[in-house]
Amino acid sequence: MSPGAVAITGMACICAPGSNLPECMGSVFRGERNFGAPMRFASGHAAAYPVFEVADDLALLETRNTPDISRTGRLSLKAAFEAIRGAGLDREFLCSKRVGVCMGTTVGCVMNNEAFYRAYLEKQYPNMADITRFLQSNPAAVVAREFDLTGPRQTIVNACSSSTDAISTGALWIRSGICDIVLAGGADELSHVAYNGFASLMITDSSPCKPFDRDRKGLNLGEGAAMIVLESEGLRRMRGRGARAFVLGFGASCDAYHPTAPHPDGRGLRRALKEAIASSGAEEREIAFVNAHGTGTQDNDRVESAVLNDMLPGVPFLSTKGYTGHTLGAAGAIEAVFTVACLERGRIPASAGFTSPDLRLPASPAGREMKIKGSVAISESLAFGGHNSVLVFGMGGDAT
Amino acid sequence: MNLSIEGIGVVGGFGCGTDALVSALLSGQCTPEDVSVKTPEGPLNMAVFSAETSRLEEFVNKRALRRVDHFSKMAILGSYLALQDAGKLEEDRSRMGIIIATGYGAARTTYAFLDSFIADGDTFASPTTFSNSVHNAAVANVSMLLNITGPGLTVSQFEMSVASALLTARCWLEEGTVDSVLFGAVDEYCDILGYCWHRFFGDRATAAHDMDPFNFDLQSAVPGEGASFFLLSRGGGGSQYGSIKDVYLGMTDRYIETQDPGTIFFIGADGHKVCGANYKRFLSEHAPAACYTPLYGSLPAGMAFDIAIAALSIKSGEIFPSMPLKDERPGTDTAGRVLLPRTGPICCVKISNRGELGTVTLGL
Repeated sequence: MSPGAVAITGMACICAPGSNLPECMGSVFRGERNFGAPMRFASGHAAAYPVFEVADDLALLETRNTPDISRTGRLSLKAAFEAIRGAGLDREFLCSKRVGVCMGTTVGCVMNNEAFYRAYLEKQYPNMADITRFLQSNPAAVVAREFDLTGPRQTIVNACSSSTDAISTGALWIRSGICDIVLAGGADELSHVAYNGFASLMITDSSPCKPFDRDRKGLNLGEGAAMIVLESEGLRRMRGRGARAFVLGFGASCDAYHPTAPHPDGRGLRRALKEAIASSGAEEREIAFVNAHGTGTQDNDRVESAVLNDMLPGVPFLSTKGYTGHTLGAAGAIEAVFTVACLERGRIPASAGFTSPDLRLPASPAGREMKIKGSVAISESLAFGGHNSVLVFGMGGDAT
Repeated sequence: MNLSIEGIGVVGGFGCGTDALVSALLSGQCTPEDVSVKTPEGPLNMAVFSAETSRLEEFVNKRALRRVDHFSKMAILGSYLALQDAGKLEEDRSRMGIIIATGYGAARTTYAFLDSFIADGDTFASPTTFSNSVHNAAVANVSMLLNITGPGLTVSQFEMSVASALLTARCWLEEGTVDSVLFGAVDEYCDILGYCWHRFFGDRATAAHDMDPFNFDLQSAVPGEGASFFLLSRGGGGSQYGSIKDVYLGMTDRYIETQDPGTIFFIGADGHKVCGANYKRFLSEHAPAACYTPLYGSLPAGMAFDIAIAALSIKSGEIFPSMPLKDERPGTDTAGRVLLPRTGPICCVKISNRGELGTVTLGL
């Protein structure tokens, strides 16, 4: 194991497949795809772009310190409750340690409440309730406040790689000794504004998304949250706690090429992948699979397929966005948690939506559920702004 | 590990560049401009410290900026100025990372995107505006123009954005992820922000022209905008601006004093009454203090201006006169109204209304 490995002692997820991680994995391995028309807003587009929404309205979620928070804030808390419980931690213990919170989001940090703004434009002079809710809903602050955590808080807004970067940053804080524990993850709610944004870019599929498929037409949006409990080795051993997995390595880069499209040769992704594998200390033969970003857009899938074919030929890969939709700032964390959960099971599900290989792509994803060989797995994120982030995870172990 | 400050680039209500900032620090003069704010009582004027980015054309062809918004322009200008100041405009940037801290992101473009579909319908949503509205658009634009191919990060933690992001910058350099970090903070004013100020602060929002940050019971904040950038590298010795010695992020009630004797505190009190009590408590145990917010205004990422002023103080060997240039307030021990010799470290302090605390300590 690499000397910089950081233990994962708890994980959580809420997204369209389920309201906790076991539910999500059960649904994914049954091949279910819970998409539909948006439930919380009306669309003025001629095409009805399907979305992957969380069924739970989260209104009954009890919060201790701030009752009026955004849906993204509630998704963050739901994930935090599950992750902390799963790690065998409680409030009292957390308060006695240096605990940081690092979250990724996109929608959750944008002051763009549409109802408020429409009222403002119509000279109705709206009150500040929506703005106050926004100011109380910074995802990292929401989680820290709920558990009275006094360590560093950081909300990363790197578009679609936000929570991949949040997990790597959390691991960095553990390695550098800043924190004993970091709650790292991401959350994003579905929003009409983002829905219109992706539709305007013409990268949204009007049917369920088909990552890496010949007939892919774009992405579907989703919502959700996921969280990982990262813990220092000293504390983990003191608690006698096994690790579910380890963050072994990380790589990141800027394409410095285009605001929304990836570099055509995958220049930045290659670098991020190379650095991630090198920093993990893993051998290529140990890599069981890659959880690709796999949005279902023409550009993303072409670049990822080419890079994976060049750098990790023969290593199985898949996209889980066919099960979750593209959850933007939460995507990296959801996919990281899925990656670890698949390592634990020793299997990966079929890459949902993939049925017909695209002969223009040099490599295709797993078309069916399969057993994996190897103790290491990779999760990739590519983001608007040309940012690439790659995490390498290793199989967990006992408390020693 | 110390972070060496190799270059500084600033743009704000005081002007553009470190010379403009030093000039404002010495004169104590920085006049906000009046902008019109839509209110239930009709349009009202409100003072705002605005930033002007025309100097960007010294560095970038105008055509390359035609789709770049004000938020990104401020970040790009800050970046070029910092690299120029460091004498590193021409260097290879493949081992450079970029981190930007912001409270509200590209606020004007965020609402411009809403405008694009509210008037005429969802199908008229503007793709260009959407891609420029995301918080990391500034990192994207800076990395493209300067060919920075190391990692990029945008952090949004309201008033704690700067300290939080610096924590990660230090980790990157400590682990050797990069050789240098272009670190910056940027926030912009927009009409909606003006409206919100009026709704939150009533008449005080439109009456305030002279910020009075040491009067902790008075709402005197004037909105500001701007960018403050630094080129940071590993190590401590040699830089004219000194280095960042420590970054702390936590809560005021858990803060344990670790500062050297002789430390002076640059407080980020920016005229918000709701934060005033927290600063008052902090200053009862930490003095002497100086404050410079009346030169750049109130903005979430404002702490980065204090870091720039601290670095300039280290360079000059003197503490600039604290603002405002009038009588000291009872119960505070300010740095005075004249230039003072700098004797020890400088600790920049930002406290939120919820008691979150960020400190960044600089020294030689």
